[in-house]
Amino acid sequence: MHHLEIRNISSSYGKLEVLRDVTLSADKGEVVSLIGPSGSGKSTLLRVLIGLTPPTGGNVYIGGNKVDYNSRKSLKDLRGHMAIVFQQYNLFQNMNVLRNVTIAPVKIKKKPREEAEVRARGLLQKVGMEEKADAYPDELSGGQQQRVAIARALATSPEILLLDEVTSALDPERVKEVLDTIRSLTHEGITLIIVSHEMAFVREVSTRVAMMDQGKIVEVGPPEQIFRSPVESRTRDFVSKILSH
Amino acid sequence: MNYTFQFAAVLEELPYLLGGAVVTLQIAFASFWGGAVIGLFGALAKVYGGVVARRIAAGYVTLLTNTPALVQIFLLYYALPDAGILLEPMTAVLIGLVLNAGAYLTEILRAGVLSVRRSEIEAAATLGMSQLQIVRYVMLPHIAKTIYAPLSNFFVWLVLGSSLAALFGVEELTGRAINISTANLRSIETFTIVAAIYIVLTVIASASLALVGRWAFRVKAKVF
Repeated sequence: MHHLEIRNISSSYGKLEVLRDVTLSADKGEVVSLIGPSGSGKSTLLRVLIGLTPPTGGNVYIGGNKVDYNSRKSLKDLRGHMAIVFQQYNLFQNMNVLRNVTIAPVKIKKKPREEAEVRARGLLQKVGMEEKADAYPDELSGGQQQRVAIARALATSPEILLLDEVTSALDPERVKEVLDTIRSLTHEGITLIIVSHEMAFVREVSTRVAMMDQGKIVEVGPPEQIFRSPVESRTRDFVSKILSH
Repeated sequence: MNYTFQFAAVLEELPYLLGGAVVTLQIAFASFWGGAVIGLFGALAKVYGGVVARRIAAGYVTLLTNTPALVQIFLLYYALPDAGILLEPMTAVLIGLVLNAGAYLTEILRAGVLSVRRSEIEAAATLGMSQLQIVRYVMLPHIAKTIYAPLSNFFVWLVLGSSLAALFGVEELTGRAINISTANLRSIETFTIVAAIYIVLTVIASASLALVGRWAFRVKAKVF
């Protein structure tokens, strides 16, 4: 059994089926990227995985244990293993950088504050933000906020980290600093599920790439297959349009 | 006008009046915090509640904001004994003001609850926070920041509004002023000094609220 198993997941908003029978898996430490046009369900899949959008069918297993998205206890348990970084960073505006990163370890995992702060400073150093520990989010650029958001997610020691278009809201100049940060995570044993339009980056860091369209997974394979010799015509179509930019 | 002002007789009673000012502040604080708790649940019910919770909150607010606080306390004080519930004047005033403040604070807090960004609530949930922790660490600070100014105004209103307790024989600032003036017959002087004490109270309250706001919520509130 794989570390993360997504089996036949479906999800709808009212009558609109956003995810249809999605099956995907990831081994520990793998980097799986989701690509596809806007509205294909990539972000929804991440939201379903972390329990923000309820699935209407199918199951998710982590380390062989089934996640019950209707149970608060199961959700809390899930979020001890999995974290997400959002497109819009979603930092807590009323807390400074250090507190953003320590709030989950201190208040949820009940770690002593000093210990959490030492660890948080280490994580901030890792993302290059240790000097801004006392700043508030509204004093930071988008790229800086996003790097703090990554540190905040890492502070919960996730085995699985979901990255939802984390560079889409950034200036081109800021994209690189965030991608560099993510690249540094790819060899740490954390399973990464990445939704991204940065094709060169996806191609470079992914162990496997899944092409999504209209709520379905069209094709899954190593980056070489998806970007060089896709099997499905829909993938070929999408990739050629994106790469010809 | 050949009225001779005689403040000396009133100033003798200054400690007694200041004691009343303390009671005034106690009534204002108690109704404010009691009302804030009701208001928080009322606002959450109005924004996030189901149909029943929303209806109850809306009915409560409509009823309490469309009748005078004075009338509400009269009802508590004079009507409840018929139902076998006897309240001390102070108790009746406090319950009345708490219920009244709760209704106004429900509306003020609702604006605050609406100001909380959904994205931050989601981020908090994905970090594993419980509903209560989300309210405590993410929503309340936002709410506090947004509603800081109307909240300060409301507190000042409560300090002044608590004077209606005097009608029920509660010896807060106005009540004690009535006591003094009926004894010394120096109404003008007495109430001039009482007015001055009220001004001092509200100015101190506004200034300290502004300071708390700056310190706790990074609000750029004017102290004066």
